[in-house]
Amino acid sequence: MLKFIARRLLTLIPVLLGLSILVFAFVHALPGSPADSLLGERGTDEDQAKIEESLGLDRPLPIQYFFYMRNLLSGDLGTSVSTRRPVTEELGRYFPATVELGVAAMIFAIVLGVPLGFVAAKRYLGLLDNTSLFISLIGISFPVFFLGLLLKYVFAVKLGWLPTIGRVDVTRTFDHPTNFYVIDALVAGNPADLLDVLKHLLLPAIVLGTIPLAIVARITRAATLDVLSEDYVRTARAKGLDPRVVDRRHVLKNALLPVVTVIGLQTGLLLTGAVLTETIFAWPGVGSWYLNAIRFRDYAVLQGATLFFAFVVLMVNLAVDVSYGFLNPRIRYR
Amino acid sequence: MSVAQAGAAELRLEQGASLWTDAFDRFRHNLGAIVGVALILVFVIIAIFAPVIAPFDPNEQVGPLATNPAGPGNGHLFGLDEQGADLFSQIVYGARLSLLVGLVSVGVGLTLGLVLGSVAGYLGGWVDSFIMRVMDVMLPIPSFLLATGLVTILGRGLTQIMIAVGITNVPIFARLLRGTILGQREADYVLAARSVGVPGPRLLMAHILPNSIAPVIVQATLAMATAIIDVAGLSFIGLGPSDPGLPEWGKILSENASRLEQSVHLVFFPGFAIVLSVLGLNLIGDGLRESIDPKLRA
Repeated sequence: MLKFIARRLLTLIPVLLGLSILVFAFVHALPGSPADSLLGERGTDEDQAKIEESLGLDRPLPIQYFFYMRNLLSGDLGTSVSTRRPVTEELGRYFPATVELGVAAMIFAIVLGVPLGFVAAKRYLGLLDNTSLFISLIGISFPVFFLGLLLKYVFAVKLGWLPTIGRVDVTRTFDHPTNFYVIDALVAGNPADLLDVLKHLLLPAIVLGTIPLAIVARITRAATLDVLSEDYVRTARAKGLDPRVVDRRHVLKNALLPVVTVIGLQTGLLLTGAVLTETIFAWPGVGSWYLNAIRFRDYAVLQGATLFFAFVVLMVNLAVDVSYGFLNPRIRYR
Repeated sequence: MSVAQAGAAELRLEQGASLWTDAFDRFRHNLGAIVGVALILVFVIIAIFAPVIAPFDPNEQVGPLATNPAGPGNGHLFGLDEQGADLFSQIVYGARLSLLVGLVSVGVGLTLGLVLGSVAGYLGGWVDSFIMRVMDVMLPIPSFLLATGLVTILGRGLTQIMIAVGITNVPIFARLLRGTILGQREADYVLAARSVGVPGPRLLMAHILPNSIAPVIVQATLAMATAIIDVAGLSFIGLGPSDPGLPEWGKILSENASRLEQSVHLVFFPGFAIVLSVLGLNLIGDGLRESIDPKLRA
């Protein structure tokens, strides 16, 4: 098992190296330079040259890449041009917000999606099955930003049940050492804080979780259908096992394998969805951070963020591969 | 019907049940797929006959300028926008754009992916390794973020945006095609064709590709849906087509997002146009997948 993980990690090295080259080339192909956005319209050519020199942008690209890689390997992603803070520090500030949102969205998707897909499969081709399939297709067809705007309009603006923006009420002073507000509020033990944080989290999480919900429900349904026709399920039923036990121990457990894969594959989608969801709800996560970086041509942030996103996706995929072993002992790692 | 006739009919049925007729038959009986085809047909008809269907020029001022434009009524089916233009006409013309966006982006991704995937799968060896490693490097970057980056580099013209969204599809198509070709390369019929001396390129074009194309068609339909959503999403974050006067649904929606409270129609109608067109494509894609391979019911 450990050997398998080590080998998978080794194969990641060339991919990450390729990624760093791609991202570096990519970011430097962007039109305009950070100096432009820093100086605005009044900058002279000399000012621009000075800033580019101070940022090392006047050196040949391979040299820039070399320095970039040297810093990267020592865990330094550079300094944001617009805020002058280290990219890693900003990442530490914004990433927890996105993780919190993403995890909440996935919980929403799994808690509703798995039972829904399972029940649909048990009623294969029945009314419930067809309805849930159709509804999940509608869910997939909804652009995140449109759904976000609609829900925000109905529940926050019209009904006023939930807050429209942010992670916590602006008037609330609230300590957040880990930047995971839910955890911070739990640790602080103030129920009013926790309630406020959860209220802010609810709507964005539902918006971000809707497409994963639809996908999880569909995959659970398909996987359950496959397992239901397996010989061992028939055997279990034939020997008179309680149908509920068959469902739980034989069907659901085996059907969850593809579901785990799909949950892993959602990471990229969640990051993408986060960009749009965070824009709508002014959620201070990596999504809005990334968009600002595009606006200000913040090379360091763009490089760091893109590399980081890709890294997260790769790591989650690895975790999914490893988790197969726990869920399905038939899979052996070599 | 005599016994002989019945036997003959049975025989014909057996002969006729090839992969494609079989698939078509399943597709025909899939209600969702039929609804999808109907939806997309409606959009295609609207797109083709836009000048006939739209009562006004989409950029013509036909009502008063207003910060909070009037909703449906007064001869304007979907209401007006802040420039006093007819929203219905804009949505109708927008159908052209969305279909164009779907077709061109998928065309770009499909062509590049097809070339790379079939070359990699057919040649194998280091060419295969090289192409696939490049795809591996592209895959972990979330496609929408890749598209935002590409649009920033290429520029915000409609063409550039379609190319950018298309490029994000390349790794998916390349991998898909390579996988199926690898499966087909050693199949008996390919070995047979090879043994009678069919030259390499012809073998690929006439024998292997047609037999590997089914999953690609499914993926292409679903990718069209994603392309429409992605372009609208780019509009939403301010990276949409900068060409003035383009009635792109995502652009109409995002330009009016802040006006949601006063003029909900300006968000609602373009939004639902996107949902319906995407739903149509997803239904078709699903139906195709089920009819080509009934075992894949996801």
